[in-house]
Amino acid sequence: MKETRRDFIKKSGGCALGMVSLATQMHHLGNMSAMAQKVIDSQPEGGENYKALVLLFFSGGNDGNNMVIPNHSDPTISNYAAYNAARGTQGLALAQGSLLPISVPRLGGLTYGMHPSLGPGATGAINPGIHELYGMGKLAVVTNVGTLVRPLTKAQYLSSQFKKPYQLFSHSDQVNQAQSANSNVPAYNGWGGRISDNLTATLNPNGLIPMVTSIAGAQLFTSGQITLPLAIADSNTSLANVLAPVGFTPVNATNTARLNAFNALRQQDLSSNFVREASHVTDLAMQANAALQVSQEVTVTFPNTSIGRQLKQIARLIKKRLDLNTNRQIFYCQIGGFDTHTSELPGHINLYSQFSQAMRSFYDEMAVQGVSNNVTTFTLSDFNRTLNPAGSGAAVGTDHAWGNHMFVMGGGVLGGDFYGSKRPDGTGNYYPTLLMGNNAGALDDENNSATGRGRWIPTTGVEQYTLRLARWFGLQPADEIEVFPNLANFTAHDAANFNSLAFMP
Amino acid sequence: MESKITRFYLRILATLALSAGLTFGAFAQNLTDPDPNSPTPVLLTGPDSNRALAHSQAANRKAHLARASEQAFYPESKVTLYVTNLALMEGEGANAFRVYAENAKGHTFRFPVLDLSPIADGNGIYAVTIYLKDEVGYWPAPLADGDLTLYLTWRGLASNHVTLGLGSTDSRPAITNTKDRPAPLSMALDKKKVKEYVATMSPEYVGYRWSGDRMRFLEQAAFGPTATQDTYIRRIGIRSWLAEQFQMPYPSAANPYPNEPAKPNNVADCDGDQVTVPDVPVTCYRDTYAMYKPQTWFIREAYYGEPQLKHRTTWALSQIWVTSGVEILQTRHMVEYHKILSNNAFGNYRNLMKQVTLNAAMGRYLDMSISTKTNPNENYAREIKQLFTIGLFMLNQDGTVQTDINGPIPTYDQNVVNSLTKVLTGWDRCTNTTAGVCPNLVVGVDNYIDPMLLNSGNHDLTAKTLLTYPGSTTTNIAACPGVCTSVADRTAYANASLEQAMDNIYNHPNVGPFVSKNLIQQMVTSDPTPAYVGRIAAVFNANRTSPTQLKEVVKAILLDPEARGDVKTDPNYGKLREPVQLVTNFARAFGVKGATTSQSDGSFGVNVIGNVSGRAQTNGLVGEFLGMAQIPFLSPTVFNFFPPDYVIPGTASPGPEFAIMTTGTTIQRSNFMNRMVFTAIPIVVASPDYPNGTAFDFSDLQAISNADATGNLLLDELNRRMLHSTMTAQNRSTILPVVTSVTVSNPPTAAQSLSRVQQAVYLIATSSQYQVQR
Repeated sequence: MKETRRDFIKKSGGCALGMVSLATQMHHLGNMSAMAQKVIDSQPEGGENYKALVLLFFSGGNDGNNMVIPNHSDPTISNYAAYNAARGTQGLALAQGSLLPISVPRLGGLTYGMHPSLGPGATGAINPGIHELYGMGKLAVVTNVGTLVRPLTKAQYLSSQFKKPYQLFSHSDQVNQAQSANSNVPAYNGWGGRISDNLTATLNPNGLIPMVTSIAGAQLFTSGQITLPLAIADSNTSLANVLAPVGFTPVNATNTARLNAFNALRQQDLSSNFVREASHVTDLAMQANAALQVSQEVTVTFPNTSIGRQLKQIARLIKKRLDLNTNRQIFYCQIGGFDTHTSELPGHINLYSQFSQAMRSFYDEMAVQGVSNNVTTFTLSDFNRTLNPAGSGAAVGTDHAWGNHMFVMGGGVLGGDFYGSKRPDGTGNYYPTLLMGNNAGALDDENNSATGRGRWIPTTGVEQYTLRLARWFGLQPADEIEVFPNLANFTAHDAANFNSLAFMP
Repeated sequence: MESKITRFYLRILATLALSAGLTFGAFAQNLTDPDPNSPTPVLLTGPDSNRALAHSQAANRKAHLARASEQAFYPESKVTLYVTNLALMEGEGANAFRVYAENAKGHTFRFPVLDLSPIADGNGIYAVTIYLKDEVGYWPAPLADGDLTLYLTWRGLASNHVTLGLGSTDSRPAITNTKDRPAPLSMALDKKKVKEYVATMSPEYVGYRWSGDRMRFLEQAAFGPTATQDTYIRRIGIRSWLAEQFQMPYPSAANPYPNEPAKPNNVADCDGDQVTVPDVPVTCYRDTYAMYKPQTWFIREAYYGEPQLKHRTTWALSQIWVTSGVEILQTRHMVEYHKILSNNAFGNYRNLMKQVTLNAAMGRYLDMSISTKTNPNENYAREIKQLFTIGLFMLNQDGTVQTDINGPIPTYDQNVVNSLTKVLTGWDRCTNTTAGVCPNLVVGVDNYIDPMLLNSGNHDLTAKTLLTYPGSTTTNIAACPGVCTSVADRTAYANASLEQAMDNIYNHPNVGPFVSKNLIQQMVTSDPTPAYVGRIAAVFNANRTSPTQLKEVVKAILLDPEARGDVKTDPNYGKLREPVQLVTNFARAFGVKGATTSQSDGSFGVNVIGNVSGRAQTNGLVGEFLGMAQIPFLSPTVFNFFPPDYVIPGTASPGPEFAIMTTGTTIQRSNFMNRMVFTAIPIVVASPDYPNGTAFDFSDLQAISNADATGNLLLDELNRRMLHSTMTAQNRSTILPVVTSVTVSNPPTAAQSLSRVQQAVYLIATSSQYQVQR
């Protein structure tokens, strides 16, 4: 990383947690105590000023080509027939009549379609799903987003002079790039964590938990240079118990002495990096546990699925924002199973049903809490999948690809529309051209244009997409480069497509 | 705290007082083993300060050796330091050393070591040339704004700390502790004084000769020490122990592999009686379609098995060549896969590669068994390279990444993935009913026992281009149409292509360092020096055609001087104990048994839902291990529970196991230990179909506790047993008052002594110090 790290640290002072710093914290941050600065907080924590970003990660590489589909017959832009031609033979095309129609003002009012499980027909539906939110203007689609070092035309992609993301189509690398917003070099930390590094001191100066919380374990997205996330289990465990160490009751001399020793041992032997970091994680847990002792319960019913329980836990933490002294929160949750090399059709029915039902419950709960305008939920994934199916018949699936479609949900979103960029040379459209083989927006296969499998070169970089969210969240222009290190590569492309990506106010 | 000597005599008294099997006498270890300890390196300083004896590389060495340099150095310049008290092996050089520096802000940097050479006039002093440019890149580059505190590490040992000015020097720092004492040239020229100097640097620990090394060895080569194994190794030495281990049948005779028959895939009717439930026997579903049997078998073997080394190595391999019960649904399918790993654990990597490639469980897990020429699937073709053999970037033989102006150099591109995908098309589970072709075929049951069989009509016959690398040969496979006119032709072509592709991957220069580093990380340390990786890779490569290649590799990993030694002081040495090691190491240290039986059945299933609708629901390991994020046989993805290149957040330190160390899982670890120590796991339902519970034997510790009301003997024994004698005086003074807060009568009751033992065991078992294997 760059010199700018120094500035991060300055802003964050020694109070990444806004509380008494522990020995492990000091080591973890470097010797920060001397630099700690008092930040005057004029806003009531968790009040009007509150904002939250929720990243829902489709783990495994979501096939966006079967999530948002052309449902029109306009011959000038890829239409349903083009989609069906690419996927119908092998049995992967969704029937046109099953698609949930959505109108796209920015594409001349053409009709597109959502996967049927994103509506009230979802498996085990307890609510109307997210399709309805699109019509209400609370859900936007951002098309053909993907990892990039810089915008690329196909000719540039084929030339060795233009840097491409390292290890395209590899799960772990593409996940890391989506979560770090850096496709140039492998990164140590994620853009969620870096936003926290940047904003904690000014916006959560007295926060009782870290700005970032993961309900799905340690993730690159959630780790900053100094930010360690809170990682907790889903709502099967109440907030009061989610980090509670057991065995120290009843309170008596021995249990009290043992608890004190349990805590004291963590301040010892910090010269070993591994001991120190293990202690630091436990310190964080013990501090957060104290802050979480009074649980908050949600009003809306959530589906009892993994993603439902994760979003329910997030909703509880948001409801507790005043107690936790947080003005800003960033959450990570994920739904797995999208690596649909096989049996994609039944897989998607199941996965999209879970996704849409949980998302809708979460939206409704935010509305009940009165913060629907303050909370924005958005998706990312490893990558898209090949338009060309893998296999056929009941087991038909797809392989790893690149540019993909994303959802953004919230009261603050300018929803009911598609957003995206044109190719760097100004050709194409927001929605990729659904052609395999010799297609200006797609990759060839072994440089043989006849056998390309339909992998879209992203027209919007991950950092262009997430920058809009970060700005809404409060990241200042001068600090953008710290969070999104390759942003300068996108300046011209971003300016040319500025309005077409304006999905946040 | 008492002096070491006092405790030593107390220990002798205790040894006399207690039965011989409980404590460990001061007998010399078998002499087949050399001293496992490497000397502690000492960086030279001026005579009256801890400022480094240093000069810019260009300077005249002799002129500078006699006095400390008070000058400062420019960033990105080359500086020569002097180090003594080394004992280098042949070929051991600069890449065995690391130099760390911390600035006033507490930021740690690592400076490349460019050269190490003995100074002309000998005396065991070496000139170390470093480059003052951070090679980690985690913090902003160090500025020329004052003194750095600098130390050197070698074989897991840290040198004394010295001061080096960058841009300028601060006022001379106060000499505050033993690490900062001056180590002048005059001292370095006197071996006796060097010895005295190093003695004061040693961490305070008690223990007998090499006992720390034995304990560490059993954490690396086995699932933790037991009193029996420790005693045994003390008698025969670790080399003899290894030789015995390499010969042992696996698994233990008393704990054979689960032998459940494979069944049809209709899980709703396990017993095949055309009725969904109840099953007869009631355990049918659990034993056939869940991972219960492999999991409990695995834990039993770790607890009680004799062939510990093969079990440990196979466990390591299973975290490289990952399959998972998330997708492999039957006990038998997983067991057959595991057999391939264990059969090859001390074998040849090329054989392992081919056997896994044709295994039906892997074929299903990564979709090779459905990949055909018309519907190719890239999954396995990608992962065998990325995860199992060569990785993403070109490596030097010491495991460091090769870079050019564009950064790390990729090992392959999508074209190679496409080509290998084509090579691997056409294999599927063995279903041929011709006698002898699929010997384990049972009609109506998927064949996961025989290797996958080629359906030649599904094999891609077009040309392929394999991996290209320095020294690569025959990277092209010609197309076959026109030649392959018969099944026999196509089959011969496909099999020849498969062999060629396996050779093409196996012969890639990355395989040696890639596999070596992975295994070192699994067994010994997360961040091995390049020298260590290079030594093991050399063994891997020297045995490329040997049928015992991995045996030699494993042996070299465990006997390497970077692995051996009583105590390691390098701050980056060791690894976080993964949950499986945490649980099994703990259990073996305290004589794990069943609630009422001499052996646990390997289940942690206290949360038995019972016999629901006629189907046993025992959850094996899931309940306890889920919270700690590592359930054996149930890796969430092919990337294992944690990736080998994971970097600990907020640091630049590699620490794979930290990927599953979060605020949530760390508390679960503590809570797990709370349960094990204070209650263990009772029998919920007394029935053969239910878990038999878990308990520990603390009686020997209670006897020690009874023998010494101060609690010191108890902590001595736990220190030796759990921390291989690295407990500090500060640790002791933290734990001891908790032990003595339990008042005891004279003589103590069993409950009193048990409580004392429990307090101490809990605090050590939950400490960060014990979470780390180092």
